[in-house]
Amino acid sequence: MFPAANTVPASMSEPLEDYLETIYLLVQEHGFARVRDIAKARDVRAATVSISLRKLSEAGLVNYVRREYIGLTEKGEEAARRILTRHRLLTRFFQEVLGMSPHAAGQQACAMEHSLTDEAMDRMVRFFEFLGTCPSVVQAFGQCPMGVRPGDEAPCGAGSETCAKCALNHKEASMSVSRLKPGQRAVVTQITATGPLRQRLLDMGILPETTIDVERSGPGGHPLWIRCQGAQLALRRAEADCIRVRQAS
Amino acid sequence: MTLTAVAPTTKTPLPESPRRFRVALAGNPNCGKTSLFNALTGARQHVANYPGVTVEKRTGQCEIGGSPAEIVDLPGTYSLNSYSPEERVAERELASRPDVVVVVADSMQLQRNLVLLVQILQTGANPVLCLNMADEARAAGQRLDVAMMERLLGLPVVETEANTGRGVAELLAAIRRASLAPIARHRVVLGEDLEGAIAAVSEHLPEDGALMLSGEWTAVRLLLGDVELSRRVAEMPAGGEAVYEAQRQRARLEAVTGLEIPVFVAERTFGFVDGLLRETRTPPPRIDARALSDRLDDVVAHPILGLPIFGAVLYAIFWLTFTLGEAPMGWIESGAGWIGQSVSSLWPAGSDSLLRSLLVDGVIAGVGGVLVFLPNILLLFLGLAFLEDTGYMARAAFLTDRLMHRFGLHGKSFIPMMTGFGCTVPGIMATRTLENEKDRLATMLVLPLMSCGARLPIWMLLIPAFFPPSWRAPVLWLVYATGIGLALALALLLRRTLLRGEDAPFVMELPPYRLPTLRSVLIKMIGRAGLYLRKAGTTILAISILLWAAMSFPKPASHQIDARIAAGEVVVAVPGAAASNGGHVTLSAADVAARRATEDLEFSAAGRIGHLLAPVFSPLGFDWKIVTAMIGALAAKEVFVAQMGIVYSIGDADAGAEGLRALLARDYSPLVGLSLMLFLLISAPCMATIAVTRRESGRWRWALLQLFGLTVIAYLTSLGVYQLGRLVV
Repeated sequence: MFPAANTVPASMSEPLEDYLETIYLLVQEHGFARVRDIAKARDVRAATVSISLRKLSEAGLVNYVRREYIGLTEKGEEAARRILTRHRLLTRFFQEVLGMSPHAAGQQACAMEHSLTDEAMDRMVRFFEFLGTCPSVVQAFGQCPMGVRPGDEAPCGAGSETCAKCALNHKEASMSVSRLKPGQRAVVTQITATGPLRQRLLDMGILPETTIDVERSGPGGHPLWIRCQGAQLALRRAEADCIRVRQAS
Repeated sequence: MTLTAVAPTTKTPLPESPRRFRVALAGNPNCGKTSLFNALTGARQHVANYPGVTVEKRTGQCEIGGSPAEIVDLPGTYSLNSYSPEERVAERELASRPDVVVVVADSMQLQRNLVLLVQILQTGANPVLCLNMADEARAAGQRLDVAMMERLLGLPVVETEANTGRGVAELLAAIRRASLAPIARHRVVLGEDLEGAIAAVSEHLPEDGALMLSGEWTAVRLLLGDVELSRRVAEMPAGGEAVYEAQRQRARLEAVTGLEIPVFVAERTFGFVDGLLRETRTPPPRIDARALSDRLDDVVAHPILGLPIFGAVLYAIFWLTFTLGEAPMGWIESGAGWIGQSVSSLWPAGSDSLLRSLLVDGVIAGVGGVLVFLPNILLLFLGLAFLEDTGYMARAAFLTDRLMHRFGLHGKSFIPMMTGFGCTVPGIMATRTLENEKDRLATMLVLPLMSCGARLPIWMLLIPAFFPPSWRAPVLWLVYATGIGLALALALLLRRTLLRGEDAPFVMELPPYRLPTLRSVLIKMIGRAGLYLRKAGTTILAISILLWAAMSFPKPASHQIDARIAAGEVVVAVPGAAASNGGHVTLSAADVAARRATEDLEFSAAGRIGHLLAPVFSPLGFDWKIVTAMIGALAAKEVFVAQMGIVYSIGDADAGAEGLRALLARDYSPLVGLSLMLFLLISAPCMATIAVTRRESGRWRWALLQLFGLTVIAYLTSLGVYQLGRLVV
């Protein structure tokens, strides 16, 4: 959510794993890493790098080949490779499966790579293998309104015939609250609003799996008057569009 | 929770010496918080605006355990997420660390109301939970184990009925208890994963990382991705670490739960409240508890019947306001007149003492001009307070929102704009019911275009002067319709330009109908009227003295009319004497006085400005007489009629309306009449409006924009109409 480099001040000390990763990449490229290269790559001051390097050195992950020239120990190299694999795997996941931009995917991967457990990693590798044999899953997601990237046009209105044909969606055809008529009841599946509106809806108790009753509508069909968790609320069409629901069973 | 973050353990209990002790009331809108505030403070309260925002600030005094305490009524909010001005104000007040925060909850809506309690606990406040409207919930079958709730939450819990005052004594005792034993650590349970993330982020917060509120709350907000707070924290030394940590934790939680963080946090918070209620509430209020209210809404909020009913309700309120207000307005006017005369009689007749003129024409007339609106304001606010407190206002907004939203306004803009037909001043004050700042400003700025009651005398003078009888009604209709159309168009323009921005979410709660107490309605009415008198009054008074000075100074040393009498050209008629007509004009004594007044006005600053500005206004068809009269109309629109009377040397303009009309018809074409009416409709609203706009918007900027913006639009409109009209005619 926060662009890493420009809002985070340079004085901040990055987690050590990131340094390890950087050093690894530099060593791969040049055969060695210098403090100033690391500082440049991570966009921090050289002094900051030195502090982290000392910590890495104490942990036995890096060694000083010569003054200023830094290499990785065997242990360090292994750790760095482990992180880098994760980074690449996560980037691919965000980019290819979730359809995020390469830049955003990279950033998100950076944020997550340190916390991925071995188990999660293993499952993710298997999931990728599965996607390799069954690419239609990724395609289907990209075509469904749920998976359409912001800015792109939805290929079909949710709840339309295309989706109704989809076996998975058959029972839970998703639509927006604004399509409900007075007297109808539905269960919230998703809140697509952003910013203040989403927060307001959440504050009012409109959460996934809560039930919404449409009580009445204003002159001309809008705003809608709904009942949710005992409260009664008025919603404009634009707001009602942001609450996706399925028919209550 | 394993939080190292700020817990208010160091709070000092009530000291021996009576120190100013502060209590804040927090709660959702419509939870009866204000009634409770009234019950606690009685008349000892003060209404003002928070600086720079249009949020009302209510403070009051009361006694707790023998020592005086200050009570602040925070604006009603659903959460502390600082998206609305109300939420930011509430957060700022909490950051000032009141000794005790009373969280007022509607017993009928505990689920949603208690979410706010959770957030307030996270801010490290020292709360007391007040379950208001307990009677209503009991009647609906809800049974609460208050003792159990106290145990589970670890803080005092009291049931109150603010309308009857029951439970208020217990609340005061609970506040005292809370102040003596502040909670050390709250008992909110949000699950290990979320709590762990909050703890991890708050551990990374810089030393003074509490920022405005507790470290825990800061951590929650960072997790939620509060952009502004993140920027602020990142700017602190070593603050980037916490922001980075929040980013990581957030990504981790989203990956683990598959939910976006705001949804996840909301689910956990509601989950905690649900659990709490499951332990303490058997059974919840019956579903049909609102049956009566719902049946009423079936009629009142009906898609077809609703609007006519609303129209009738509005009509009733305006009718009451302007009919009941008429008599007291008359008393105030004649009272001011009587005082003016009494003061005036302290000087010998015919004296032109400056002090007398200042007192009578400046101060007394100015104060009268402020007070004269008071009956209307009181009555209208009585009606509006009643509509608000019963819950009908929300229905009215529901019914009119579709229409108003097309013009970038809100359903709640409708009533203030209708009020504007009576008087702009109470209309602007009625915009207080609008929660969104931008909706409110847009409504306020275009309100003067609704042709107010004070302009009616102008239309009554001008329309018959220039138009034949069959044209009069359509022209009057045209004037009103032009005002309405222009107001809506300008509102749309404002919302697209200066006041652009996302619409505030129209997620409006429709509370059940409630019968308000007379007390709370009266307190609301008096509070707002007091605000008008105190703040607008001083500005209006100052401007009326200024205008008085402009119209009185400088004074001519002698009058031409006297010179002509001395020269024998003019003879002052003696009643009863036969009119001799020997080559000179005979005038009555009153006519002579009127001629003197005309000369005084022409010689005064206002008259000179009129002459000076005449060339500017001549493309609109106006001459210096009209311009001079318009300067006077800045004080109050109806003054235009009296000023035209003075310019044309007609002693009493109202009585001499026929004569004045004849003179106007002689001097100006109907096209000038139309151009003039449009200008008076659109241009500079009266100074009372400007003063109130300044007061209510909190900034001169908006009042001046209103003044100059409308005047420029008026000029262009009249210019267009007059010039095009000349081509056609």
